[in-house]
Amino acid sequence: MIKVANLQKSYGDFQALRGISFEVPRGQIVGFLGPNGAGKTTTMKILTCFMSPTAGSVTVDGHDVYDNPVEVRKKIGYLPESTPLYSDMIVYDYLQYVAEMREIPKSRRHDRIATITRQCGATKFIGQEIGTLSKGQKQRVGLAQAMIHEPQILILDEPTSGLDPNQIVEIRTLIKEVGKNHTIILSTHNLPEVLQTCDRLLIIHQGNIVADGTPAELEASAAREARVLLQVAQPENSPMDQDAARHRLSRITHVHSVAVAPGAGKSIRFEIQSDIGTDVRPDIFNLAVDEGWTVVELRRDSLDLEGIFRKLTQAV
Amino acid sequence: MQKIWIIGKREFMSYFSSPIAYIAITVFLVLTGLQFFFGWLTIDPYASATDYFEANEASLRVLFEGVPLLFVVFLPAITMRLMSDEKRSGTMELLITLPVRDHEVILGKFLAALMFLIVALALTLPYVVTVYMLGNPDTGPIIGGYFGLLLVGACYCAIGLMTSTWTKNQIVAFLLGVLICAGFYFVDTLIGAAWESTRETLHLISFKYHFQNISRGIIDSRDLVFFLSLIVLAVLLSTYSLQSRKWKA
Repeated sequence: MIKVANLQKSYGDFQALRGISFEVPRGQIVGFLGPNGAGKTTTMKILTCFMSPTAGSVTVDGHDVYDNPVEVRKKIGYLPESTPLYSDMIVYDYLQYVAEMREIPKSRRHDRIATITRQCGATKFIGQEIGTLSKGQKQRVGLAQAMIHEPQILILDEPTSGLDPNQIVEIRTLIKEVGKNHTIILSTHNLPEVLQTCDRLLIIHQGNIVADGTPAELEASAAREARVLLQVAQPENSPMDQDAARHRLSRITHVHSVAVAPGAGKSIRFEIQSDIGTDVRPDIFNLAVDEGWTVVELRRDSLDLEGIFRKLTQAV
Repeated sequence: MQKIWIIGKREFMSYFSSPIAYIAITVFLVLTGLQFFFGWLTIDPYASATDYFEANEASLRVLFEGVPLLFVVFLPAITMRLMSDEKRSGTMELLITLPVRDHEVILGKFLAALMFLIVALALTLPYVVTVYMLGNPDTGPIIGGYFGLLLVGACYCAIGLMTSTWTKNQIVAFLLGVLICAGFYFVDTLIGAAWESTRETLHLISFKYHFQNISRGIIDSRDLVFFLSLIVLAVLLSTYSLQSRKWKA
């Protein structure tokens, strides 16, 4: 569907993209992840034919972005960062205008606007001026204009930035639902978002792709060791001997280090590192039973994407 | 073609969704009214009469002398936001990632300014009615005058649109537009006054000179070609300016 080969882009002396290549098949939700200034937005602007690359090629469904921009744009719905919409227009008029520009036949326009606003949850404020909308409402209008022509590809630049947690969940659900029959590329620096919405992750750093794969694959490739968290409640009157407990934990096979930290309330937290590919939780449980510890929490530190992200994107 | 019309229509409607358009038109009509009756903008010392009453004739000559000068300020004020505002607010990114070509965007914006110009000119028609009620004017110069105003106005609009593509800042676009339009308007009067021998040559690029020819009711191909080629040039330069985002290496 989308083929990017050796894409480069320079702004004056600054090289924003240093030759990235990837392919996106139909129906995939891809997340661009990276620190600010990594080249996410630049890549998106080239995909939408807003800018031209300095070198390299991008084809969308066989059309080159440089030679055939109008054909490419027809296939793409785009929501730029910070949702720039004409603030002096009424939502309905604006969608009407986009529908006209997108060559939706006059007879279908009204139905299409009704459908898309319902899908995006924008029906309630369809008669309001865009300038008076809240950020979340504006985002819904932005999504509606991007999807009004039922594009095969949706490109969303930080679709959830600046929204409150409820709005983030709503927009995320919407994207996931839409993603069932669209190819979606979205950028974000919000890690949970990527985990919950994307099939595939591209981590971009300083104009290069530094990682590419499903969230699980990335985690597996980058993890050096497994980490288990254990939280034990202390009895009211007899405080626990932390050093002794630590010593016992570290004697379990495969464990190589144990750290102690105060937990919530009077409990104590142990962070237990063990060899990769091992699961020491059964042994810890058995030990706790033998020692008579009141275990309030025992879990494996799940997907440590944050760590991977930091490791991959820290300047070397 | 159709995209040009859709963009033009949207832009034209957006003029009237804010008070700016109404204020601009009101000011324009007050100032043209003053010019029509009192000729306050006529600066030509050799003019036979400077106002409607002194001239004692049923014509719009005094009005036509003043309006192009008024346009130097009025039209750049109308065109200043066309592209600069889209750049500043980021809406340009959405506009040009729609399936349109760059020249369609520019022509659509130009069309909107042109429609606004036509509305403004249409609102001066009561003066024409007044003149016909008071006397028996010569129709040729009136038609020629309006045609000339349309041409010179379209030219200013194209120039204002061009300066609007150069910057994110409306005020900068406005000032540059006024500067260029005023420069072309006064070039022969000012430089010609200081340096008499250049006057004949400078007539060739003077808005005032070419407009005066048309407003006499004589439609000469030289004047037409002058205005039309400037319009085409400014529209082309605007398109290139919009495309230049793709050049930056």
